[in-house]
Amino acid sequence: MEHALTLEGVTKRFGSVLAVDNISLKIEKGSIYGFIGPNGAGKTTTIRMIMSIIYPDSGVISVLGEPNGESVKDRLGYLPEEKGLYKKMKAGEIVAYFGKLKGMHASEAKHKAAELLTRYGLGDWVTKRCETLSKGMGQKVQILGTLIHDPELVILDEPFSGLDPVNVELMRDMILDMKRAGRTVIFSTHVMEQAEQICDNILMIHKGQKVLDGTLKQVRSTGDQGLLIDYDGDGSFLSDLPGVRRVNDSGKQAELFMTDDANPQEILAALVGRIDIRRFDLREPSLHEIFIRTVGGESDE
Amino acid sequence: MNKTFLVAMREYVENLKTKAFWLGIMALPVILVLSILVPQWLEKGKDVRYYAVIDNSESRLLAAIDERSTFPDMEKVLRAAVDWHAEESAKFDELPEILRRTVIKLKQMIDEHTQSGTAEAAGEAIDKDEFTDEVIKQGALEIAKAVGPEGLAGTAAAGLVSEEILEKVQGVFDEQVKKPIKDWYDNLSPEEAESFRSSLSKSRYARIAIKDDGQDPEEAARKMLNDDELFAFFVIGPDPEKDSEGCKYVSNNQTDDSLLNWFKRLANEEVRFRRIQSSAIDKQTADWIQAPLRFSSKQVSEAGEEEIVEKGDVVRQWAPVVFVYLLWISIFTITQMLLTNTIEEKSNKIMEVLLSSVSPLQLMAGKIIGIACTGLTMVVSWVIFFLACLKCMPLFLDHMPDLDLSLIARDPVFLASFLGYFILGYLLLSAILVGIGSVCNSLKEAQNLMAPVTIILIVPLLAMVPIGQDPNGTIAKFLSYIPPFTPFVMMNRAAGPPTTMEYVVTTILLVISIVVALWAAAKVFRIGVLLTGKPPKMREIFKWLRAPVGHVQVRRDE
Repeated sequence: MEHALTLEGVTKRFGSVLAVDNISLKIEKGSIYGFIGPNGAGKTTTIRMIMSIIYPDSGVISVLGEPNGESVKDRLGYLPEEKGLYKKMKAGEIVAYFGKLKGMHASEAKHKAAELLTRYGLGDWVTKRCETLSKGMGQKVQILGTLIHDPELVILDEPFSGLDPVNVELMRDMILDMKRAGRTVIFSTHVMEQAEQICDNILMIHKGQKVLDGTLKQVRSTGDQGLLIDYDGDGSFLSDLPGVRRVNDSGKQAELFMTDDANPQEILAALVGRIDIRRFDLREPSLHEIFIRTVGGESDE
Repeated sequence: MNKTFLVAMREYVENLKTKAFWLGIMALPVILVLSILVPQWLEKGKDVRYYAVIDNSESRLLAAIDERSTFPDMEKVLRAAVDWHAEESAKFDELPEILRRTVIKLKQMIDEHTQSGTAEAAGEAIDKDEFTDEVIKQGALEIAKAVGPEGLAGTAAAGLVSEEILEKVQGVFDEQVKKPIKDWYDNLSPEEAESFRSSLSKSRYARIAIKDDGQDPEEAARKMLNDDELFAFFVIGPDPEKDSEGCKYVSNNQTDDSLLNWFKRLANEEVRFRRIQSSAIDKQTADWIQAPLRFSSKQVSEAGEEEIVEKGDVVRQWAPVVFVYLLWISIFTITQMLLTNTIEEKSNKIMEVLLSSVSPLQLMAGKIIGIACTGLTMVVSWVIFFLACLKCMPLFLDHMPDLDLSLIARDPVFLASFLGYFILGYLLLSAILVGIGSVCNSLKEAQNLMAPVTIILIVPLLAMVPIGQDPNGTIAKFLSYIPPFTPFVMMNRAAGPPTTMEYVVTTILLVISIVVALWAAAKVFRIGVLLTGKPPKMREIFKWLRAPVGHVQVRRDE
């Protein structure tokens, strides 16, 4: 299968800091790829290199089969982590402007901008200035600006940050729409649940290095199985149960990891009566667990 | 290139929507109109100063002063009447019949004289304007002394015209004419006097009689002063030729001393004249002593001949200074716009989105071009307004201010070099400011970096007047070769004018420095726009300049 993006031994150094260390990667066309990793892991630097905003010190990046990223810029869509709009421009104008910058005709861009804004519930805002938009609306306008020219590869840096659940849902739908339209989507996040819900593949970066790369299933199978329970009551005793090695307790939901000789049935029996169990599930570890385990709980901000 | 154009377009269109742009467009016209109108309003708004004179002198000093104040006013009246006659202005028809008749006669006399060749034969000036001036002066003198003694005759206009011409002038201003014109002048109200081109002293100072109710005139004058009927009154002592005893000026407003100065000057002239006369000096010697030295202003033409300085030449000398000022303001306003827009893009976090579509170089070029168009729109609309003003101003104003602005407008060199230097000066400064803008995250940071730039830019502003006085002096020449100053200083020297060689060399230097500055700006911009946090040190920026494009070590910004 053709690759939308390949990285080979890409390295970028900022002064004495090695921001990206020898990362190699292949992304298939039509897939959704999640870049995960703690803050400062090198996600944004990697993305900026893919977008030819900065250049790697060594290594080769090939985007849409082209070794020169500049030449395919018009076929890419990019939503940076730092999102902003021209405050004085109207929403319709700015979306169209992004389209024109990507090589669309003025009239076509104008049309498409109005159409997209209307389709995603911003029809009333086409002629309103960006400074009047709420944060969520502004972000939607931005992502529409990223998509207006039907890019083949879409790169979204932290698309979910700062959105309320309704808009998170909407953003997710938009990403899935893109996949259905046959586009390749790369997005970075550090909210693991979102990555888990929609990604086909996961790349985890830590301290500039690739730590995990593969399909969601592959990535999750690297860890041992865990027990997922939904419960009501006081779960503070969970970590003291015999046979339980580690607990990720969120208050209403907990993920329990067992010692090698433990039996899930015994643990269930130990739980019954002490807390009110609504769900008991033996499954692959969550991405969250893998993330924590890989990063080791530390985050070098 | 297409993307550069898109960026430029957006920049242009968005700037057109800003208040700053419209304020900039309006600034010049408003300043221009105000600078013409306000002095006129102030002049008009000045109250007429009513004054009275108690003349205790036995030698009738007041009558002689009267003559002396009539003379310059009459000259202005005749001058205006002659001009109005030539322009076939409606105002000429409003003048009293006797004055019109006299002016027509005077014109005939002038025409005959200048055409007949008599003047040439006599070896006198045959310049018609000059001759007209002399004749008008003599005519005014004739009218001024219509009633008084001959005191004035020998003073200001002594030796003005030859006997022969004097006879002719006196032929026009004969006894039947002099008295009625003088009477008309004496009865002219301040409001009527106002309508003459250059304001007459009569429009400012009106003498009124003291109410005579048999009591002490000073007592009466004091009462009028307190009743606000008088602004001031003068008392002339019994023997002013001897000393100042008994002379006084009484007013409750001692700050506005223009009336006092005006009257004092006239009185002094007369007294000095009389003192000379009463000494054992004959009239001719007295005239000769009193006659002022007159320097006629000449300049040397390219052919090496002396020619008379026209008013336009004086304006030409100073017009560049106005243009330098406009150049400075326009370049400064526009580059400020570039700076704030660049910082806005950074602080609004829109930079990265743009960079995913356009290269930093395209973005920078687009911004510079877009703002240049904004600036050109502003400057060109100034020029259009300026030209329109010249056309329409006479419709709104009674008379144009004594500035021959049309001469500047007609000289394309000024406007062309103004536009040329605007573009070159803008490009150089824009390279610097776009660089500064790209490394700053807020206007406050930018202000610190701007300080040295502003200080350097003030130099041509300070040098403006000295260079205007000596356009080809050493300092002017020296500053022309310093690229940041070149546009301003060369504009400043336009009246000189500098040699073609200087134009060529300074322009080449300027263009080279523009190219270098833009190259450096492109490098700084490329790195600076992605930079967050503190602006870099100069040392760091120099490091960027030396490194190859695209491989500069940006500080980690995650």
